[in-house]
Amino acid sequence: MDDAIKLVFDVAAFASIMVLVVSGLAVIASLMGIFNLGHGEFVLLGAYTVFLFREWGLPIWLGMMVAPLVVGAFGAGVERTVIRRLYAQPVIAMLATYAIGLIIREIVRGLIGGKYYAIEEPLSGAFQMGGISFSVWRTVIICATVVTMVGAWMFLTRSRTGLQIRGALENAALARASGVSTARLYALTFAMGAALAGLAGALMVPLFSLSADLGVRFLVQAFLSVMLGGIGTFGGPVVGGAMIGSMVPGFQWLREIPGVAEQVSPVVAEVLVFVTALIIVKFWPNGLISAGRK
Amino acid sequence: MAIHSGMTRRTFLRGTSVLAAAGWTAVGTSWVLSPEWAHAAGPIKMGIATDITGAIAPGGNSNWQTAQFAVKQINDAGGILGRPVELILEDTASDPGTAVGNVRRLIQQAKVDVVLGGITSAMREAIKNPIVRRGKTLYIYPQLYEGQECTPHLYCTGPTPFQQCGALLPYLIKEKGMKRFAMPSANYIWPQLLNKWARRVIEENGGEVVMEEYFPLDQLEYSATVAKIMSDGVDHVFNTVIPPGLQAFTKQLYEAGYHDKGGTLSCVYYDENSVNYVAPRELEGVYSCVDMFHTVEDPFTHQLIADYNKMWPDTPYLFTAGTAATGMYRGIKFYEAAVIETNGDLSREATSAAIDHAMIEQGPGGGARMVPGTGHCEMNMYIAQSKSGVWNIIQADQAVDPKECIG
Repeated sequence: MDDAIKLVFDVAAFASIMVLVVSGLAVIASLMGIFNLGHGEFVLLGAYTVFLFREWGLPIWLGMMVAPLVVGAFGAGVERTVIRRLYAQPVIAMLATYAIGLIIREIVRGLIGGKYYAIEEPLSGAFQMGGISFSVWRTVIICATVVTMVGAWMFLTRSRTGLQIRGALENAALARASGVSTARLYALTFAMGAALAGLAGALMVPLFSLSADLGVRFLVQAFLSVMLGGIGTFGGPVVGGAMIGSMVPGFQWLREIPGVAEQVSPVVAEVLVFVTALIIVKFWPNGLISAGRK
Repeated sequence: MAIHSGMTRRTFLRGTSVLAAAGWTAVGTSWVLSPEWAHAAGPIKMGIATDITGAIAPGGNSNWQTAQFAVKQINDAGGILGRPVELILEDTASDPGTAVGNVRRLIQQAKVDVVLGGITSAMREAIKNPIVRRGKTLYIYPQLYEGQECTPHLYCTGPTPFQQCGALLPYLIKEKGMKRFAMPSANYIWPQLLNKWARRVIEENGGEVVMEEYFPLDQLEYSATVAKIMSDGVDHVFNTVIPPGLQAFTKQLYEAGYHDKGGTLSCVYYDENSVNYVAPRELEGVYSCVDMFHTVEDPFTHQLIADYNKMWPDTPYLFTAGTAATGMYRGIKFYEAAVIETNGDLSREATSAAIDHAMIEQGPGGGARMVPGTGHCEMNMYIAQSKSGVWNIIQADQAVDPKECIG
């Protein structure tokens, strides 16, 4: 029983990190039709902002609050200078985001001398409940993810701007004809996606340490999540992220079943995540959520 | 074309002139650090092939700074038999594919007399043939590694698995009462071969390995592994997980309460750099065993570190054992000793025959001696435990045998 509770907690914690990373990617991919290959570096920028706050002697929690704003503003700048010119050519836009990501990553690598830096959590340690030890910071991440996802979902479904964004997605020409500035909406959406990435980076950096490749490690899994959940909605990729995020630790836990550990090494368990996801995508090519709607 | 970039011709020239003023000249894509004085026979050419850029850059830069430091010491003292040493650097860029071509340039264009460098085993494997076989040049590999490298004319100046675990593991078992060991590892050759040694030493000393697992190098999530360590009554984790996977693992292990329940951990690449990439509370009480800590009781080592820090003030790249800096220093001094013995004959056969039994009285962590016919060296090894970011020496073993390439 203890193991089961621990399993649920560990799976939920990692799934939350994945959902946070995927949500920013999902907002941009689903609502703008652009795959942001620089998303991992937006995550990195969020983490780097926290690192800078520590270097400047400012509180780390403050860095975590500011990181989404910094990265969001940066995203708005990128949208205005580069992405805006490439809406008609999504493939070129994708390559452009890759280039931007590469530039950010290598600049950060230079700034931190290619090293790894441990960053302490604002709330550290573990608390005991029923003899099981739970990480405080992972609990914070789970809560922050739930709050952020509910907030983002409310914004997109309940607010006037959210309605306009969804309208522009359905039919951009009609939205413009109705007096909605799609240029402003796209800038806002891109900034929102970047801000979510910044938040993800800021919250996860105490768990994984800062290094230039922090974001890259999540990018492939994040894209898999978007494929799994389906493009075109906000919820789809988020559900996909939760599923991939659960499978990563989940498959490692499967090895606890007697006899399995001998057959399945941790490396194989990691590969199985991709195999499983690809099988699901094979049967639901449009993703889980959009498949349900059609 | 109206392209406005931050880099104008003038700033570019200014930038390169700074390098030139520091004694640098670019030849092709190699960087040459020429000595300040000349000799009729010309300088002794020492090639450094290390990772200045890419993932291994922190280690590579530390190696390169160490090479410049050691060569400056030699040149300031009058060179080797009166001949100055010239350093030629090739960036292996943390990429074995790139490295092969760059190393070939060292051999064919710069015609170096010896090559030192390579940090990862993959890099050593990639560059050893271009250097030793096709290039017919002496090669010195400075990093602690998994052993079993017995190529002729290739000399290893870093610690071997036996040197790192031969004393540490018996100490943990006999003195600290550790019985049940877990070996979480990154999935590549160094942990695989090191664990083979470690397992043998553990079992010979009455310990037991309850878990040996290999993970992808960048695995992000270790909850299942940590749960197993907790439930199997493991009292010591012999860790060979490396960054970037390392940080997530040590954090999850700490959060699960492993340390609070009295569990201990050792990691034989931890050194003075580790405080930067491992959180202090996860480093507390951890054991390591390398060929030098800054805390060893050896005046020469203290002077060496002080001089290095004077030459490179505020550098992020420290003079430590885990980055191969100690092996690099040792390698250069071995080569110096070999050239003195051959009386200036720089041919590969002559220097190789001499370095095979070379000896240095003093070095980082103490003197060292090549074990003839093995390509590896005896050196002092130190077991230390981390307390508040300082490595307290627990045990110092003199002239530990590498136990490689015997017979």
